[in-house]
Amino acid sequence: MFGQVLRAQWKYSRAAVAVFTVLCFAAPLATVYYRPGEVRTGGVPVSSWLLGAERVGAAIPVLALLLGVVFGLGAWAPDTAGRHVYALAMPVPRWHYVLLRFGAGAALTTFPVGSLVAGCLIAAAAVTLPEGVHAYPVQLGLRFGFAVLVCFALIFTLAIATRRAVLGVLGVLGGMVMADVLLGAAGQESVVTETMFRLLTTWPGPLSILIGRWALFDV
Amino acid sequence: MLAIETNDLTYRAGKDFELRELCLKVREGAIYGFLGPNGAGKTTTIRLLLGLQRANSGRISVLGHDVPRHVHRALAETGYVPERPHLYPYLTVGEAIRYHGAFWKGFDHGYAGELIEMFGMPEHQRLARLSKGEMGKLHMLLVLAQRPKLLVLDEPTDGLDPVVRRDVLTALLDFCSQGSTTVFISSHLVHELERICDWVGVLDRGRLVTELPMHSFKQGIKRLRVSRAPSLLGDTPFVLLLREQTPFDEIWVVRGWQAPMTQWFEGAGAELKEVVDLDLEEGFVEMLRASRSTSGL
Repeated sequence: MFGQVLRAQWKYSRAAVAVFTVLCFAAPLATVYYRPGEVRTGGVPVSSWLLGAERVGAAIPVLALLLGVVFGLGAWAPDTAGRHVYALAMPVPRWHYVLLRFGAGAALTTFPVGSLVAGCLIAAAAVTLPEGVHAYPVQLGLRFGFAVLVCFALIFTLAIATRRAVLGVLGVLGGMVMADVLLGAAGQESVVTETMFRLLTTWPGPLSILIGRWALFDV
Repeated sequence: MLAIETNDLTYRAGKDFELRELCLKVREGAIYGFLGPNGAGKTTTIRLLLGLQRANSGRISVLGHDVPRHVHRALAETGYVPERPHLYPYLTVGEAIRYHGAFWKGFDHGYAGELIEMFGMPEHQRLARLSKGEMGKLHMLLVLAQRPKLLVLDEPTDGLDPVVRRDVLTALLDFCSQGSTTVFISSHLVHELERICDWVGVLDRGRLVTELPMHSFKQGIKRLRVSRAPSLLGDTPFVLLLREQTPFDEIWVVRGWQAPMTQWFEGAGAELKEVVDLDLEEGFVEMLRASRSTSGL
C-alpha cells in the first residue's frame, strides 16, 4: 500500500524533486565560491572568508523552508484537487491514510536532503582549508534534514487541516499584526508580533532550527 | 438482512437544503434505484452513507457496520463510483488500477485485466487524457474488480454516450449475475433504472417520497379520469396521490391500482371514464407532483 502511495507521490512531485535535488547539491558547493587559496596567500583574511561562506550558506535554511512548503503542500495536493472524495472512500482509517501520505511526502525529501549531504561532502573535500578552520558536512546535512522535516510537517499539518482550522490560524496571526498596528497608531510600543516571532524562532519554537549559523566551514 | 439502513437521517446544509428523517432500507442482493430530480439530495445521501459527510442526526448502517464509526470496515466491502471523477489524473490507467488495488484486499487483478480488454481501455494512457466515457468505464472497472458486496453508483452513466452507457451497464449486470452483490444506483434517468432495478426509492427535496419494489412502482401507478366524484372520498382501496379538477371531470393519480377497484367508483357514486397506464417516467413525474402538492412545496 505504501509502495503504491509513494509511487503515485513520486509521479506527482518528481519535477519538484529534481529541481530541489539540483539546488540542494549546488548550495554547499556555492559556499566555497570564496576560494580558500586566497586566504592562504594572504589575499583574504580568514574571518572575511568565513563570513562570505556563511552568507552563501544562509541560502540553505531558506531551501529547507521552501522544500518543506513545496513538499508539504504537494503531499496532499492530489487529494485536495479531487476534493478528498477518493481519499475518504479508501477502506483505511483516516489517520492511516494521512500517515501514508505523510510518509510518502517525507520519503521524497530524502532525495534533496541526500544531495545536500553529498554536496557538502564534495565541497568539504574539494578545498584545502586554512589553519584552524574545519568543515562540518555531516552535521550541516543532518541539521538540514531535520529542518526540512520540521517545515514539511508544519505545512503538511496546515494542508490537511480543515478550512476552518486554517482560517483560525490565519485569523490569530492577522489579529496579532492588527494589534501591533493599532497599538503603534495609539503611540504604544507593541511587542505582540515580535513576541510571537520570538516564540516561534527560539528554542523550543518549531522554527528555531532555521535560525542561527548554517556554516559548512567554521573555526 | 439489510445492506443499507438509515433511521431518521437528517442533514442540513445551510438554509436551502435539508435531508429530513430519511429512512432507507435496501435489502441484500437488491438492485436499488435511487431516483430523484437534480438537487433532490441523492449525492448527499450517498456521501452520508459512505461517511464522506456527517449527518446532523439519525443512524446509518452499511453492510452491518455503523457509519461513520466503522466506516472503513463498510468501505472495505463497498465499491463507490462518484458523480464526478476523482482519480489522480497524472497516473496511467495501469498505475491507477495498481494504486486502487493496493487498498482493497480482495482486488481481483485478473478480472481487472479482463475488463480492460472488454472495455478496450488504453492501459498506458494518462487519466488526464481519457475521454469522459473512458473515465466512466475505468471507474466501473475499478469498483467491479474489488469484487465488493455493495456497489454504490452515483449517476454512473450521466453524460456518457449510449454505446459507453450500454458497456458500463452490461458489465454491471454481468457482475451482479455472478453473485449476490447489492447495488445502490442513483440516477435521474428513469428509463435506465427501469431496465436494471428491482427496487426503487424516490427522493425529492430531501424527503423520501416512496420506496417499493420496481414491479409495484411500474404497475401500480395509474392516471384515472373520473366524473361526478364526491368531494369527500372516505376510505379508498388505492392510494390517491393527486386529484386535479379539469373543466369537465377530474384527473386522479393513484397508486396500488388493481382492475377490480373499478367497483369502488360505483359505490361512491362516481364514474370512472378512463384508466391510463403510466410508464415509469410518467409515474415518477406524477409521484413528484403529488408529493409536492401534498407537502405544499
